[in-house]
Amino acid sequence: MSTLTGVEVGQQLPGFSRTFTRADLVRYAGASGDFNPIHWSNPAAAALGLPDVIAQGMLTMGTALRVVTDWAGDPARVRSYSVRFTKPVVVPESGGTVVTFAGTVTTVADGVATVSVEALCDGVKVLGAVTAEVDLG
Amino acid sequence: MSISEDHVGRSYPATAPYEVSRAKIAEFAAALGDGENPAYGGADPIAPPTFAVVLSSAAWDAMFADPELELSLSRTVHVDQRFAWQRPLRSGDEVSATLTIEKVRARGATAIIGISVALATTAGEHLCTATSTLMHTMGDAA
Repeated sequence: MSTLTGVEVGQQLPGFSRTFTRADLVRYAGASGDFNPIHWSNPAAAALGLPDVIAQGMLTMGTALRVVTDWAGDPARVRSYSVRFTKPVVVPESGGTVVTFAGTVTTVADGVATVSVEALCDGVKVLGAVTAEVDLG
Repeated sequence: MSISEDHVGRSYPATAPYEVSRAKIAEFAAALGDGENPAYGGADPIAPPTFAVVLSSAAWDAMFADPELELSLSRTVHVDQRFAWQRPLRSGDEVSATLTIEKVRARGATAIIGISVALATTAGEHLCTATSTLMHTMGDAA
């Protein structure tokens, strides 16, 4: 692993958008083992008072980290990663829901960069306090 | 009896060993929309960092099955999640996960529960610590 150089506080990381569809939620359910029906069944979501099926928080969390791993090159550089699940991503039966991800370097110290990631759906944050520590060495 | 501060420090037996496979890594990376990342393919791939949830969530089962706590997954909200890695999980790793209750704050029908799950290889190498805050609401049986 070569050294990541020229990393500065305030640096913007390239972002991206992803459209989450019901098929994506089912695929993640199978891959992760999270078969909670609120992620694929309209009645189950309605029974909990949700407006519709919602995406797995861990799917949004895992997707958001791509801002960091695409930039860092090697995902093995990620030392820690934390989020708060602030607002569910509602995914209707047809079409899908767009979430936009972007990142900023907030500190650089002792060979570790701390990156803050933003995840927005309709202009509203769906994850809070999204922080990853990245080994630069 | 339901979950209370008295349960802080309680640990559960480690989950059965789980072997991380190339196929499962590829499946998980594709589900994140990251199937083209070369780190997750080839002969000796690493797992996407949040793959750790496959192991850590399996460790939740023991706590939810503990009759003394009277917890139900369907009345649980995942408030926050943190992972700290010693090294990435790799294909071929045999991993088991051990859950410990770190914090409980019960107020009325609602309990805020802090848990920590340690992932280690069956040879004893520590890989990752997954910590979560859960908010649990008791059923309205009362």
